[in-house]
Amino acid sequence: MKRAPIVIAGTVAGLVAVLEFHTTPAKLTLAGGSSLAAGSSAAPATAGGAGTTTQPASGATTSPGAASGQANARTATGPQINYNFGVLSVKVTVSGGKIRKVGIAYLDDGGNPRSQFIDQQSIPILEQEALAAQSANIQGVSGASFTSAGFTQSLQSALHSLGM
Amino acid sequence: MPPAPIRQLEHVMGTVVTIDVFPARPADDAWTADLRQRLDQASAVLHRADEVFSTWRPDSPVSRFRRGEILLNDAPPEVATVMSACEVARQLSGGWFDPWAMPGGFDPTGYVKGWAAQHALAALDDLAMHGALVNAAGDIASTGRQPSGDAFRIGIADPDHPRRLAEIVELTGCIATSGTYERGSHLIDPHSGLPAARAASASVVGPDLGLADALATAIAVAGADGLEVVERLAGYEALVVGSDGRRHPTSQFPFARASGG
Repeated sequence: MKRAPIVIAGTVAGLVAVLEFHTTPAKLTLAGGSSLAAGSSAAPATAGGAGTTTQPASGATTSPGAASGQANARTATGPQINYNFGVLSVKVTVSGGKIRKVGIAYLDDGGNPRSQFIDQQSIPILEQEALAAQSANIQGVSGASFTSAGFTQSLQSALHSLGM
Repeated sequence: MPPAPIRQLEHVMGTVVTIDVFPARPADDAWTADLRQRLDQASAVLHRADEVFSTWRPDSPVSRFRRGEILLNDAPPEVATVMSACEVARQLSGGWFDPWAMPGGFDPTGYVKGWAAQHALAALDDLAMHGALVNAAGDIASTGRQPSGDAFRIGIADPDHPRRLAEIVELTGCIATSGTYERGSHLIDPHSGLPAARAASASVVGPDLGLADALATAIAVAGADGLEVVERLAGYEALVVGSDGRRHPTSQFPFARASGG
């Protein structure tokens, strides 16, 4: 799927370490909450020019027990991320240390037919990828497209907020 | 739970490139400093490729070359390097990959993304790690293995059923996938100059991502008939998914074993 853009490695269950080097000094954080390395800039990285930018971040919102049918299921919504074609936000439900459900909480791709086409193709792939990555033990998906970067960022933030 | 990679997201080439590094042991300060320096190099490689080769930026050297404003000698040296590699890829693909047949003149886009990702990966050479992956919008260069010692496993998106993976590959080296579901009518048949694609998707694995990228583009246009050009190439394998969903692999395509998940 992918990914490019971007892609969720087989570690979506929360151990993915994210390096963001767009600011100087760069910030290196582990999704588990520990922070490796230097960087006084607390602001999420912002890409200059083209590319994805992270909203200054209130970050994800969580709603314990929101998922149906799963004891101890917890749901979080990632921050809205600017990606190539607009803004999106990802919602994730976890229980028992596993991702149970992944979906789009918010999407505005501007209504451009090409943006819509790409989103329609890639979002289901990305949703599946997040689930498949943990079940199939894969480190990436070939054939992903532009939407995946924003998706990955929002998902990782959502997982982070759930302590995964 | 397998050990986690350290990931960098690089916003470049109109998309995001993901770099995943699997450390050989828990990261200490010296290793992290080494990694940081190498990632800076990898980042510089990607951004440089974008600046030189973007056909979307009107002021890029390639755009100026396409408009005839500069000669090859006036362009940065990597333009000639890539042009030579594209000519090799054109010949190896039996003409199905042909940057010179694109609308608007020489367009190496089908080669450059993979080429740039491959060079970004090279910046990580000799780092103390189990392995690393550079994923440029679904075209993936890798070195090494998972911390478990197993080969990296990469899913191939199913072009007809976006909620599924079509296949899982045990990856040694690189994989590129091209298809109409991703690029729409941007796939051009170099023999006619018209949009065409005889495969729903085509994936190529092999040691070099630039060539794999070019060959995937070629076979997506040529369809299963184009597989023979990859069959002849040592180290390269391909999988075509037809518009009817049928799979057409070359003889040694590295399908993952059924287990592992």
